[in-house]
Amino acid sequence: MATRAQQRTPLERAEYALIVSSLLLMVVLTLQPMLHLVAVSLSDPARVAGMNGLAVLPDGLSIEVWQLLVTHPNVQRGLWNSIVITGTGTLINVAATALMAWALAQKALPGRRAIFLGVLLTIVFEPGIIPDYFVMKRLGLIDSTWSVILYKAVNAWYLIILIRFFEEIPRELLEAAELDGANPFQTFFRVVLPLAKPALATITLFYMVFHWNEFFRAMIYLSDQTKWPLQVVLRQFVIEGDKLAMVGVQAMNDYTAASQINIRALKAGMIILTVLPILAIYPLILRFFTKGTMMGAVKG
Amino acid sequence: MTDVAQQTPVRRTRASHLRAQVRRWWPYYLMLTPGIVYFVIYHYLPIWEAQIAFQQVRIIPPNFWVGLDHFRTLASSTVFFQVLLNTLIISAMKIAFVFPVPIILALLLNEVRASGLRRFIQSVIYLPHFLSWVVISGIVIAVLSPGDGAVNDLREFVGLEPRAFMTDIGAIRWVLVFSEIWRSAGWDSLLYLAAIIAIDQQLYDAAQIDGAGRWQKIRHVTLPGIVPTIATLFILNMGMFLSAGFDQVFNLANDVTLPAIDIIDTYVYRIGLQTGEYALATAAGLFKGVVGMAMILSAHVISRRLTGKGVW
Repeated sequence: MATRAQQRTPLERAEYALIVSSLLLMVVLTLQPMLHLVAVSLSDPARVAGMNGLAVLPDGLSIEVWQLLVTHPNVQRGLWNSIVITGTGTLINVAATALMAWALAQKALPGRRAIFLGVLLTIVFEPGIIPDYFVMKRLGLIDSTWSVILYKAVNAWYLIILIRFFEEIPRELLEAAELDGANPFQTFFRVVLPLAKPALATITLFYMVFHWNEFFRAMIYLSDQTKWPLQVVLRQFVIEGDKLAMVGVQAMNDYTAASQINIRALKAGMIILTVLPILAIYPLILRFFTKGTMMGAVKG
Repeated sequence: MTDVAQQTPVRRTRASHLRAQVRRWWPYYLMLTPGIVYFVIYHYLPIWEAQIAFQQVRIIPPNFWVGLDHFRTLASSTVFFQVLLNTLIISAMKIAFVFPVPIILALLLNEVRASGLRRFIQSVIYLPHFLSWVVISGIVIAVLSPGDGAVNDLREFVGLEPRAFMTDIGAIRWVLVFSEIWRSAGWDSLLYLAAIIAIDQQLYDAAQIDGAGRWQKIRHVTLPGIVPTIATLFILNMGMFLSAGFDQVFNLANDVTLPAIDIIDTYVYRIGLQTGEYALATAAGLFKGVVGMAMILSAHVISRRLTGKGVW
């Protein structure tokens, strides 16, 4: 290594520095906006108004914004709804996808091709959101959390990735299980699933992120605001700028502490709060996703 | 007599064959059931429901058929023309300015030899891919804020006037382009990086012996090695041309900028679920669905033929 570095000409070293610094610029451009929001949310509320947009350190230190956020009924409800939707939804996703993938991985299964084509059709053809909405309405699922939980219950792409993975499992392992008298369910649960752990972990994380980030279906299917997930609460407050919904009419009229908090700080805190669960599982994502995407090649 | 005598055994074996098949496969059909029920309810019922695109929706049923009337209305609508134009312009801008970025990133990342540094850069630039457009829009609005956003503070620093990008109809499409780069360039570079890693190391060694420098290796080994991936992803992107990014536009648009970035999907939402013109909105959605399907299928066929890799 040392000898190679010595062999480099000054030009080559300058090139390398240029490459690394342009990548580091990308790192800064990615992190600065998020760090800035963290800083704003932790700053002394009185000083937030004068803060520079480039700042990444809090001006003064205060957890007032976070106190208000975590005790806010809308935020608490949103957080709970998001957890319920993500938890239940992911469980159903993984179970339904894995079962379907295992069945479709049986090359001799009669009707396999037709079912597979039926799944592919849903990738290439989508009739749009209005028919989706009317189906939900007709099934009485409007204003039911289930309409959101079951949305994308089986993602066609992940299904294909899993089928490919299952097809790679060596036949001998399965035949050995069958010889031991295992029925197809036992083979699936005792042989196939343990072998598929990395693939299952990958799609579990995919599905979790999907549910946590989904806002649009919740917005159109759930008119009852108490059922909204966190993303929709965030949207109402940050994108639509509805301060009243966040602070509450009472607090605004009474000039309580809540109404005095800088709106910029409150928005910043709310954005970061919504990102926190993603950050929490991000190390796992890095471990599994990178492998998973390589496995599925183009199928990101 | 002979006919009957011959038929009975055949029928019996067919029946017993069916019984044997059922006995063998029923566990697998049971496993398929939840998935199939899902696909029927969430994908096939909507396709059936899409027939309202050809109907006049009445408050008191039944609706009656009007053929292609709604499609004719769309064809002569100046708003829909603008929407279609916006969709095409935004998609073209994204292909021209967003598509190359992850390729460049992957090439640069591949040059970083210190694996710790490379992993650090990767783990940071992949992150935005996992944030929702609601979150990213919140971030974009903060960054571009005229009073206290980072971009305008920088502009002020170099002596430029602050600009309200989010309410600037001339700037908003560029906001879409840059926010898309911010979100997806890092993650998308992973696909190219995977292709680069798959390149035979011997090619680099041979180039080394021939005295090739860094740029010559990139030009003559790395780039040719990832051309199939670039081609596949490019064709795939072309197939999605009519989806210019609903979640993004939906969260970044406002009343001032909507005329420049109203795309088919936001138009369908607006006239369908907000104004209540269900049939017309469904017709617009169906138009996108059918043309989009033709484009994706062509993309699949072209990609298969050129690179051997299809869309699925």
